[in-house]
Amino acid sequence: MRLITHNMLQCHVKGCNANNFPLELQEVVLEQEEAELNEDFLRNMLGKIEYEALVATCLKLDINDLPAAMPADAAYNDEFLQILHRVILETHIKSGKMVCPNCQHIYAIRDGIPNMLLAEHEV
Amino acid sequence: MPHFLIQFAQQHEEFRLPELEALATIEDVQMTYDPNDYSLESPFLIVEIESAEKAALLLKRAILIKTITELWGKADSWDGLIAKVQEHPERWPQYLDVSFKFSVVTFGGTIEHKDKAPLINRFAFTGFMGKIDLKTPEEEFLLIADYGIDPDVTVAHTFYMGRLVGHGKRELIDKFNVKKRKYIGNTTMDAELSLIMANQALCGPGKLVYDPFVGTGSFLMTCAHFGAMTVGSDIDGRQIRGKGKASIQSNCEQYDLKGRVLDALVFDVCHSPWRKIKGGMFDAIVTDPPYGVRAGAKTLGRKDPAKQATEPRMAVDEGVLAHLLPDYVPPTKPYEMSEVVADLLMFAVKNLVRGGRLVYWLPTVTEDYTIDDLPTHPCMELVANCEQAFGQWSRRLITMEKVADWDGEMGLGAPTGDMNTSKTGPNQVGHFGFRDRYFAFSAVENAKRKKELKEAYQRGGPQAVAAYMKELEARKKEATTAV
Ligand SMILES: [Zn+2]
Repeated sequence: MRLITHNMLQCHVKGCNANNFPLELQEVVLEQEEAELNEDFLRNMLGKIEYEALVATCLKLDINDLPAAMPADAAYNDEFLQILHRVILETHIKSGKMVCPNCQHIYAIRDGIPNMLLAEHEV
Repeated sequence: MPHFLIQFAQQHEEFRLPELEALATIEDVQMTYDPNDYSLESPFLIVEIESAEKAALLLKRAILIKTITELWGKADSWDGLIAKVQEHPERWPQYLDVSFKFSVVTFGGTIEHKDKAPLINRFAFTGFMGKIDLKTPEEEFLLIADYGIDPDVTVAHTFYMGRLVGHGKRELIDKFNVKKRKYIGNTTMDAELSLIMANQALCGPGKLVYDPFVGTGSFLMTCAHFGAMTVGSDIDGRQIRGKGKASIQSNCEQYDLKGRVLDALVFDVCHSPWRKIKGGMFDAIVTDPPYGVRAGAKTLGRKDPAKQATEPRMAVDEGVLAHLLPDYVPPTKPYEMSEVVADLLMFAVKNLVRGGRLVYWLPTVTEDYTIDDLPTHPCMELVANCEQAFGQWSRRLITMEKVADWDGEMGLGAPTGDMNTSKTGPNQVGHFGFRDRYFAFSAVENAKRKKELKEAYQRGGPQAVAAYMKELEARKKEATTAV
C-alpha cells in the first residue's frame, strides 16, 4: 500500500466518527519502488491530500523530506512535486498495522494489501 | 467544415456513438453530425470536424472506430463518385509527390482482386506522381463500397473516396485479451468492453479512478492504460491476492502498469473507509458489480439480524477475541441487486468530483427486475445507456456524470425519463435474433428453455448464457441430423 492510499483512509467502525484519521502506522515494513512521475496527478491530489497528517505520518516513519507546510506554489514547484511523488507514490507499506487513534481498531496490512474489513460487531 | 467518414466496427453498435462523444470530450474536438444519418445497421457516419489533425485526435484511443477518412466524395455509383471527386481538384496538388497507395474497402460485399486495379486506375486523374508504396505509404487513399448488411444484396449502394486520416486502436483489444492475461476470474470483463468503459469514464492522465467491486482488476488495467491512476476494493480479499504468482499485482506487471495501479484494498463498499472530502475524491468510478443469485454481491452482516453480534466474540479455542485472529473473516450476507445499484449511485454522489463519471453495468430484462427500479439522483445526469443483448437477457452499460455538488442531504429520487431507451440510438430488441433462432418452439419448450437460461445466468452470468446457447445449438444440430 502506498502512502497516498493511507492518506485517503479513515477508521469506519460504526460510531467511530471523530479523531479517526490518520490511522497510526505500527510495525511497518517499507519498500521504495520507482514509478514514473505524473505531475498532473500530483496537482489533482494537492487539494485532496490531508497534508498535515501526511507530514506527521512520515515523521513517525523517519521520512523527513517533506516541508512542514505545503509550499504556496506547490502545483508548479518541481522540487516539491518530486519529493511528494517519492513519498506518496514510491513508498510502499509491505506489511504492518494501521491503528485507529480513537477506537484502537487494528487494520492489518499483509503483502502490501490492507484489510479494511470490519468485524461483525463493528458494522 | 471538412467532412470525414468514420467507419465503425460493426459490433457493440449501441456503444459506438457514446464512445465517439466521449472521445470528442476527452480530446476537446468540436464535431457535428446528423443523428438521423446514423444507423446501428451501418458502420458509416459522416461527421464535420474543423481539421484532419483534430479528427486524428479521435483515433488516439478509439476502440469502436476502425478508420477515419477525409471525405473527398460520396455517391451512389463509381461514375457518380468520380464526378464528385473531380469537383475539387484543389485538394490534389499537395499530394502530388508523396508516396501513396490506393486501397479498396468493401462492407457487406466483395470486389474481386482482378477488378481492383482497373477501379483504382479510374482515379488516375488525380495526377499523383509519387512512388507507389504498398507497405508504408505517406498517404493512403480509400475507395469504399458499402453493400449494407443484407446478405442477399449483391450490389453496393453507396460509394466513398477519401484520404485516410488513420486507424483506431482496436489492437488494444488483443493487448488486453483475457486469454493472454495471467490472472482472470469467472466474471472478468472482456477486453473490448473494459477499454470502452475506460473511454466512457473519460479516463486520462492526472485522474483518480476507483472500482469498488474490483474482482481481478480488469478496469484498474484498462483505465490505467489511458493514463489514469487507479485504485480498487473488494469484499473478497482472495480475488485481490489471487493464487500463487497470479494476482492483480502480476497483471500490473504483465501490462507494465505498476506505477499507475495504486492499490487494491479489502473492504465492503457499504462500509467504506475512504476519507470524505468536500468536492469528492474520485474523478471516475468504473465497475461491474457482481450480480446474480449464487455468485452475487455480498455485504457485511448476517442474514438474520437477531444473530448479529454487537459485542466482540471470543474465538472458540484460542482464548482471544475472534476478530483479532489473522484469519478472521467477518460474516457476509447477500446484497440485493437493487440495493447494490442504489448504494453505488449514492456513493458516486458523495465521492465523485463534479464532472466525474460513474460507469457501471446493469443486467436487465430478467423476470426479477424492471428498469423502473433504477435509481436516479438530481446530482447525476444520464450520459449514455447502451445495451449488450443476449437475447432474453441483456446488460446495460450506464454512464452518468455528476453535474452538481451534493448538498449533504439529498437522497435518491424516483427515476426520471425512460432509462430503458438508449439516448443515442433506437433500442434493438433481440438484436442477435436470439428469440427467432432459439425459441421457435412450443410454449412448453419455450418456458423450459427460458428457465434453463435463467439458471445459467444466475450460475455464471453472460458467460454461462453464452455456453448454454452453444449447447442448445449443438443439441438442435443433433436433432436435425437425427431426422
Ligand atoms: Zn476507529
